[in-house]
Amino acid sequence: MKSSWWKILGVALLLYAFIFGLLMPLKPGIYAVTPDNAITGTTSLIRVEGYNTNFTKEAESIKVWLKLNDTFALMANKIQVIDDMALNASFDIPVQLPIKKRIKNFTLVMDHKVDGASVSPSAVTLTQKADKVDNISPQWTTNPIAGLTIVNKFNFPFRNILYETIRNLYFHVSLWLAMMILFIASVVMSFKHLRSGKPEDDWKSLSLTAAGTLMGFLGLFTGMIWAQYTWGSFWPKNEVKLNMTAVALLIYLAYFVLRGSLENQEQRGRISAVYNIFAFAALIPLLYVVPRLTSSLHPGSGGNSTFGSEDLDNTMRAVFYPAVIGWTLLGVWMGSIMYRAIALKDKILSR
Amino acid sequence: MKKRVLNFLIIMTLFVPSLMAQVERTDFMRSIGKIYVVVAVILTIFTGIILFLIYLDRKISRLEKQIEKNG
Repeated sequence: MKSSWWKILGVALLLYAFIFGLLMPLKPGIYAVTPDNAITGTTSLIRVEGYNTNFTKEAESIKVWLKLNDTFALMANKIQVIDDMALNASFDIPVQLPIKKRIKNFTLVMDHKVDGASVSPSAVTLTQKADKVDNISPQWTTNPIAGLTIVNKFNFPFRNILYETIRNLYFHVSLWLAMMILFIASVVMSFKHLRSGKPEDDWKSLSLTAAGTLMGFLGLFTGMIWAQYTWGSFWPKNEVKLNMTAVALLIYLAYFVLRGSLENQEQRGRISAVYNIFAFAALIPLLYVVPRLTSSLHPGSGGNSTFGSEDLDNTMRAVFYPAVIGWTLLGVWMGSIMYRAIALKDKILSR
Repeated sequence: MKKRVLNFLIIMTLFVPSLMAQVERTDFMRSIGKIYVVVAVILTIFTGIILFLIYLDRKISRLEKQIEKNG
């Protein structure tokens, strides 16, 4: 029992990640804006549907704008709250748009004392049908976006398109990090085996690679499901990170094929240790260098190399890092059971 | 026994795409802020861990048989 404290720790961390990762609500946000277009010079009624919002509380503090840029924004002159999740905002849209274009996307900005500020980018397209009037209406600048409320509640961020799937951070991204840690440990064992020649180190390396590969495949499958409902395809075309991951996992599958094809134990240990080190050396550029050189749908690709504060806020970090450690410990646990089975088999055979 | 398992797997691979098409139409997966995507992801991980357990189970069963045989 004393030596299995890390198993208990791993399970406890995963339990924490599951409970908080699934039960913590999302921040309030804008789910839908209908209609998504309007014609200038008319009074338009725009329906805003919220997510986790409380429109009925302090309803008089709700303000809605159609924002073009920092200078020009049109405030709704009347807001009618339907229920907690829906409201109608009525806009008196001036005849002329404050830019030279006749069609332009406007961002919808909403401020509420209870829920805080929320944004829906490119929510409404305004079309100017009438001819140019000489001067821009003062309505665009009289009520600027100011005094937005910031609510500091312990909630997960609300992201358009992602919505609740932002929780997959703990069940997809953390699997990849766990896989990396397991593979690093496996490479260390491979080096150890090359130096000592002990078969135990080879078995440890094999078990850790098996657990890591399982994590990798689970990461791939969970990512495919996530991609289907956020990017619109199980395997998006030209998504370099997916293709490179497939290559990397095939290299690791070949490791097991290689092991199976070698009969002599000593030879198998040495060759597979060298192969494992080279497989890991190929994994790093495939997963972390190549996707960054080109553009990819994954965050942290095509330039910016780390998770920015926009991708991962502090609330998510508090669950994400324990989840990584938890999945890693679970992987080590799985690997250790496999190692014990291999060691037992060797003991029986050598009797 | 093995044949039955194989048959089941083949039937599943034939049926799953049609099930998914149904899901696409009714948009069950996109309801309630796409929370069922998270459910599907967790079920995938669960399946993976179970498959690993089955693999280990078979490996250890073989060892038990060997011990029985050799005494």
